[in-house]
Amino acid sequence: MFRNYFKIGIRSLLKNKTSTIINMVGLSLGVVVCMVILIFVQYESSFDDYHAKAEQSYRLVQHTVLPNETLYWNTTAYPLGEALRSDFPEIENVTQVSGPVRRTFKVEDNLKNTKLFDEPAVLFVDSFYPRTFDLKWLAGDQNTALKETNSVVLTKQLAEKFFRESSNFQTVLGKVIYLQSKDPLLVTGVVENPPANSDHQYSMLIPYEFFKINNQYATSNWSGNYQGSTFITLHNKSGQQALETNIDSWKKKYLNEKDEKRISYKLQPLNEMHTTTLYGQSPGGYIMPQKVLTISLVVGIFILLLAMVNFINLLTAQSNARAKEVGVRKVMGGNRRSLVFQFILENSLVILIALLVSALAISFSLDFLNNTLTIFSLNLQLEWGHLGFMVIIGLFIVCFAALYPAVVVSAIKPVQALKNKMPIKSKSQFNQRKSLVTFQFIIVQLFLIAAIVISYQMNHFNSVDLGFSHNSIVITEAPQTEKSRVFREKLLANSAVSKVSFGSGPPMAVDGFQLGTNFRLPEQAEEEALEAEMKVGDSSYLDFYDLELLAGRNFLTNKEEFDEFIVNETFLKSFGWKPEQAIGKKIQINEGQATIVGVVKDFHNNSLQHKISPCIILNWAFFTNKAFIKVSNGGLSVVETVWKDVFTNSVYKYNFLNDSMSKEYHVEQLIFAGFRVFAIIAILIACLGLFGLMSFLVARKRKEISIRKVLGASLTENLSLFTKEYTILVVIAFVFSAPVAYYFVHQWLESFTYRIDLSYWMFLLGGFITLAIALVTCSFQSLRASMANPIKALREE
Amino acid sequence: MLLQLNNIFKWVNSGGQRIFLLKDINLEVQEGEFISVMGPSGSGKSTLLNVIGMLDDFDEGEYQFLHESVHALKEKHRANLYKEYIGFVFQSYHLLDDLTVKENLEMPLLYKKFKGSERKAMVADMLDRFNIVGKKDLFPTQLSGGQQQLVGVARALIASPKLILADEPTGNLNSQQSEEIMELFKKLNEEDGVTIIQVTHSEQNAAYGSRIINLLDGRKV
Repeated sequence: MFRNYFKIGIRSLLKNKTSTIINMVGLSLGVVVCMVILIFVQYESSFDDYHAKAEQSYRLVQHTVLPNETLYWNTTAYPLGEALRSDFPEIENVTQVSGPVRRTFKVEDNLKNTKLFDEPAVLFVDSFYPRTFDLKWLAGDQNTALKETNSVVLTKQLAEKFFRESSNFQTVLGKVIYLQSKDPLLVTGVVENPPANSDHQYSMLIPYEFFKINNQYATSNWSGNYQGSTFITLHNKSGQQALETNIDSWKKKYLNEKDEKRISYKLQPLNEMHTTTLYGQSPGGYIMPQKVLTISLVVGIFILLLAMVNFINLLTAQSNARAKEVGVRKVMGGNRRSLVFQFILENSLVILIALLVSALAISFSLDFLNNTLTIFSLNLQLEWGHLGFMVIIGLFIVCFAALYPAVVVSAIKPVQALKNKMPIKSKSQFNQRKSLVTFQFIIVQLFLIAAIVISYQMNHFNSVDLGFSHNSIVITEAPQTEKSRVFREKLLANSAVSKVSFGSGPPMAVDGFQLGTNFRLPEQAEEEALEAEMKVGDSSYLDFYDLELLAGRNFLTNKEEFDEFIVNETFLKSFGWKPEQAIGKKIQINEGQATIVGVVKDFHNNSLQHKISPCIILNWAFFTNKAFIKVSNGGLSVVETVWKDVFTNSVYKYNFLNDSMSKEYHVEQLIFAGFRVFAIIAILIACLGLFGLMSFLVARKRKEISIRKVLGASLTENLSLFTKEYTILVVIAFVFSAPVAYYFVHQWLESFTYRIDLSYWMFLLGGFITLAIALVTCSFQSLRASMANPIKALREE
Repeated sequence: MLLQLNNIFKWVNSGGQRIFLLKDINLEVQEGEFISVMGPSGSGKSTLLNVIGMLDDFDEGEYQFLHESVHALKEKHRANLYKEYIGFVFQSYHLLDDLTVKENLEMPLLYKKFKGSERKAMVADMLDRFNIVGKKDLFPTQLSGGQQQLVGVARALIASPKLILADEPTGNLNSQQSEEIMELFKKLNEEDGVTIIQVTHSEQNAAYGSRIINLLDGRKV
């Protein structure tokens, strides 16, 4: 019996090649998209949960309440960790971390050749670190490895890179590397590379003690907030609230009066670090907002539904063609159950093949994503669990998409079927088909409208006048400030370089690097101070970036003790000054006092998700360790040659400013790319479905078309037989999709400070594109029927 | 006695009016009879056949089949009854296009839960008996109409029914093919004792039977 059904199933699938292929392709597309999204979401949700104690571990985050705003930081003052450890014995473990930071290392290999390495992810951790974060030790003693001040634990990857050792890591132990070419560090351990799904990315671990000795001011400063993170592990989760309260009353022991009032510490669960946007991205990590993950899942499910709807529609439409078979089989003794079984088996074949194809496609897609979306350090893998889940999806499709048509088809009464009188129970069947098609149109329109709005927003991003010039600008380190002048002169001697400037960073804060400070008038009280961004630039900074002076003058020179400020317009708003009024005013910031000598027009000093904030440019000699170089064609190689010639004991690296800026929008770009792809796939699936559906409808109406034609109907009149219905359905769908789309895109746009205005034509455009696609798809089939010779169709009856 | 219809009525309601498809039909069929049902289009021949075959319901009256009261049976029992005792032959053959001749013959046996070896033997026997062994792996569309109807009759016979219901079995065939099928019916009736009820328009075909029933507007005349 089973074999017989199987054989018949394959034959009937082969016979209806078009609809079989449409079914398979549509279903595969749906499954692939759904699974890829699922695997992506699962991966992004799994960040840092591989630590055995992840569930009960927290990061301390800081809320700073200022007069005009509250700041949320994921970094805290360095002494916090140690103080918590000594004062709260009930906390299972406290660990203080600094970094990750960029450092260079001198390494001597076996042949006594020395080599310099630039390492961007150096993490300073104390010896308590492994009690909260799992490390997999490949060599060394985990209990003592981080105890000695001048020691270092390398990751496998660095051990390989530094010492060309890839298996016996014991041989690496005892070797010495030199930090910034001077401090010797003894290799005391080798650990496995941190997995990609961790916000804690490091290539080596250096004892925090070492950092502390070398940064005594910072590591004892309770008012400072640098790159320190404190993590704790509780005995059990329930202690979180109580501890937060205790810390609240405890902090005055260490914080000064001003800070005590405005700073509070909260516990952020370790496994929320990656998906919570409030505190910003961890140093060296990135954030995948929970909202994006949720929307992604919804999108995935809808695309799968879209594919399932196709499946249902095509199978039910096919039921006419199968009616005779049902009749014959029933007369020959088949009962309804055996027919349902037969049809389900037949469709299960399609589903099974679609799943197999999907599995292959998924694994290709994952590889593709891993290799293209490198900004997200993806390591997506198709695992057995996922295949298991696909089987569940398959069963789900069998239950919901294959069962229904099978039940409908098998219900046909034999007498009617054999007489070729289709049970025009179709009233309900017709409506069901119509509503399913409308559902598809709704989803397609949602995707289309979202894609249109998102693309306009992204376009807006790229076309907003940032207020400073940013093209063809290369940024390099300037590690030895005393050589900056030589570097500049050598660069400018070349025609491929037009301008050079030094400073702390470009006008827009990129790569998560931004200096902050508090400012007030000297006569104001400390707690009245407001937050501002602090930038250091040399005397050519304004000219280099084309920042426009509204009043006052540029710096003359940079000094060890800064004495001049240039501020932006937003800064003036804090005091209600006009540009001219500000000139000559004295301002107190955390680092000292100076006079405003110039006011520049506002420029986007934050990425476009955020508002322009008060900004102070200082004529400080500190922090001028970035070189900005405007290059023309061929300039890049010049920069490299000159750089390597001037700076020794360092490793050359560079970034284009535009590249760094676009990284600020990687989540937005992902959403954009995602919606573009999903909109196309949704359209594709829906088109496949419509196309398949039309072939059945046209077959059913062939006779009607022929009769009409014989009676004198024109081609367009005949076409409108089909197009009218779809036009109505698209319009109905639009009524549903437009408000839903409005709600979502409106919400999404809200997260941008600089956003496009929604306008009605974006929605109408989405609707029109859907209509056009629907009409083209359905005309394709009906045109053929309408142009055919009517006699042929009529004779067949 | 094989079956007996007593005062069978069947009607449809159309526009507030009751239109009778069958009106007070009384009929007794003995085993081994060969009956031809005749009458103009719309006289209720096919309806009567479908009622006898239990494919269609009736609204009033009694129907005894092998001493079972069909009108009192549940759908499922009724289906079991016709599966076991009745074979159908159709005007347009109604072979399944996706199945080969052999598979078409095998299909009813699958539903009757015969074992694989039994099925093979029965199919081989039928192919042999109808001289279509050479065609067993062909699909219906590769056969002529006469050959297709031959397969249709073979399929109806394969599970050894007591009664064959044939609705214009030769309606789509030319005269020579018709004659062959009718000869086959006659032989089945005389040699194997199969009861046959056929619907036909042709006097010539009706003559093969032992009794003729004439219908007009749902009534026996």
